[in-house]
Amino acid sequence: MSPAPTVHETRQDGAEGLTRRTVPLGRRLRRAAAPWLLLAPGLIVLGVLLLWPMLRVLNLSLQDYELRNLLRGDTNYVGLDNYVQVLSDPFLWKTVLPNTVGFAVVCVVLTMIVGTVVALFLNSLGTLWRSLCTTAVMVAWAVPALTGTYIFVWLFDAQSGLVISTLDGLGIMEAGSYNWFTNRWTFYAIATINVVYHGFPFIAVTMLAGLMTVSTEQYEAAALDGASAWGRFWNVTVPTLRPIIAVCVILSTIWDFKVFVQIFLMPGGDGTTRSVMNLGVWSYTQSFAQGEYGMGSTIAVLLTVLLLIISVIYIRTLMKEEEL
Amino acid sequence: MIARRHVLAAGAAGSAALALAACGGDSGGSGSGGEVDGGGKTLTMWLMEGTNASADTYVEELKAAFTEATGATLDVQVQPWEGAHDKFVTAMAGGTGPDVAEVGTTWVPEFADAGGLDVLTEDIEAAGLTEGLVQGLVEAGTLDGEMYGMPWYAGVRSILGNREMLEEAGVNAQPQSWDELLTMITTLEEHNPDWISFPVPGASIFSATPFIWGAGGEIAEEADGTWTATVNSPEAVEGLTWYTDLALKHNSSTAAASTWVETEALAEFLQEKVPMFITGSWVPATIRADNPELAEKLVAFTIPAKDSPVAPSFLGGSLMCRFIETQEPELSFELIKLVTTGEFATRWAEETNYFPGTIEAMDEVVAAGDELTAVFAQQMTEGGKTVPVTPAWGKIEGAKTMSTLVGTILEGTSVQDAADTAAAEMDGFFSE
Repeated sequence: MSPAPTVHETRQDGAEGLTRRTVPLGRRLRRAAAPWLLLAPGLIVLGVLLLWPMLRVLNLSLQDYELRNLLRGDTNYVGLDNYVQVLSDPFLWKTVLPNTVGFAVVCVVLTMIVGTVVALFLNSLGTLWRSLCTTAVMVAWAVPALTGTYIFVWLFDAQSGLVISTLDGLGIMEAGSYNWFTNRWTFYAIATINVVYHGFPFIAVTMLAGLMTVSTEQYEAAALDGASAWGRFWNVTVPTLRPIIAVCVILSTIWDFKVFVQIFLMPGGDGTTRSVMNLGVWSYTQSFAQGEYGMGSTIAVLLTVLLLIISVIYIRTLMKEEEL
Repeated sequence: MIARRHVLAAGAAGSAALALAACGGDSGGSGSGGEVDGGGKTLTMWLMEGTNASADTYVEELKAAFTEATGATLDVQVQPWEGAHDKFVTAMAGGTGPDVAEVGTTWVPEFADAGGLDVLTEDIEAAGLTEGLVQGLVEAGTLDGEMYGMPWYAGVRSILGNREMLEEAGVNAQPQSWDELLTMITTLEEHNPDWISFPVPGASIFSATPFIWGAGGEIAEEADGTWTATVNSPEAVEGLTWYTDLALKHNSSTAAASTWVETEALAEFLQEKVPMFITGSWVPATIRADNPELAEKLVAFTIPAKDSPVAPSFLGGSLMCRFIETQEPELSFELIKLVTTGEFATRWAEETNYFPGTIEAMDEVVAAGDELTAVFAQQMTEGGKTVPVTPAWGKIEGAKTMSTLVGTILEGTSVQDAADTAAAEMDGFFSE
């Protein structure tokens, strides 16, 4: 809009300096603004969808905030009281945290193993069979967590589920004699099957994509050097795929740490059976079911911090400097 | 757009007038019409989903009747129970709530205390409705002496049985006490050990409360405005022990049931594996729709107390509440009156198999009902009872304190220990 060549003139003529100096300033601003302008849509979306809620949760976690405060729109800051209360609660250390961490570790390890094995298997197939099998695997991934969970709950129904009926038919266990969902170990065993079943397809497909980029020459060379299949896997496949493995492990860890639906929908998982509560369910029952929004936010913040720490450690150990 | 809506409303009003004229005689909105002029205004009402199978026609006719009586347009939004609590909370916080809403009895104190609901005491008095309301519902909607909701409908739990199975075992009489109920259950269990003779569903707390109350215990008691948990008192523990022993000592239940909710017990009843169980007054209608053959065999008993045939049983239902944010308080109350009294109240009760919130309408429903209705009505009028009316109950419900209590006992914790834990948790909520 304003003519560009005025830049030189401003430096010569002091009388009209005020009006003229704005031109290069505006220009400089425009120049500086250009990248931000281009970034703006993304930043705004991130800001609205992620940053603002995060700050809000952080803000809430410092308050004793209940339904009353929500309706009246007032604040009630209590400093770090919520954090002290959560962190000094033996329930956190004896039940919630072991459940969350233990479950996540087992699930991540199993998901990675199953996913990798399936990927290796798919990689060894011809094109037709590979696409057929990949489609079949993806179906498991496409099932919503809610539906999948109900299916596993039905399978393990203590009275008439498929599992107990089969055991009953084989004469091993009588139907209705044992409730899998009230025992912490059997409850989480079922949840593990559910989560691994649901999680491995993503790992398998991602790993398969990686495997297909490993050149066959490398394997041939390794084979010529006398490396066994096992040796080829550890010395050729794993190092080549390390960035992909790292991403898969980090994503699985995040998913398995914050697992909620799969626990909440199981009988007793909604907080009735206290011994099976995890961080996600605990946060939910505190904030929504009991209207303790401040306390619920505190638990959510702690979960986020925990995940951040774990992710940073992973990234540092799994990736080399130059890959970062 | 607006003009078109008016035309539609006028059309609806016209057809309603025709419909009412066709019905003739005892027309419904008696006395409520004409007092408030709502011409050109629109009210929003929330109804809970699933209570009334034929809600669509009911809603259409209600809209027409409301427009005819007041000239205002009614917008009815049906809300699913799933996540309803959160939806109410966010609506109240954001000021996006309706003018009038159906609110479940146990939520009213919590929402009223938080400042989301409007006081209705004066309106109800002015309309001359104070007398003749079902007491249990009035209690549930009263906080600090003020009524925050107008009783609409209620249900109660009693024992529902399969006559064929009971007669096969030779037990088909109203139990007059716990001892007689126990004899019935043990006889059923001996007759056919494969039956789940009396399920003890762990996650269904209102199947357990009649036994706490029937032994003279209470969940919590109020003194000088402060609530104290009494679920660990000797009476309450006696009731809990008797009830859970049915599963633990008398084998009347199944291990699966320790995480059951009521509908899962119902599912087994529908498959005729359960000769009798505790369930709500609205269930016979469901069975009639799903399995008419079984419906012919239904028989009901009141849940007995320790030494008498009728124990207190939880009276749950809904109240019609006015949101504090409404711009049209008078018009809103006209709507509340239209829904909760007269023809529409009776009709809702008949269509849903719940009991209406006014004694007059209740008598009408009982007179028109069958033997099952009479049994449930007896349980409700003689034993209808509500949970502690305090805002803290919402938290106790949210924390699943009561179902955890029953569940842990069924998993082997001693009754006293489990009750002490539950009492401590409740006291924590009361003292906040």
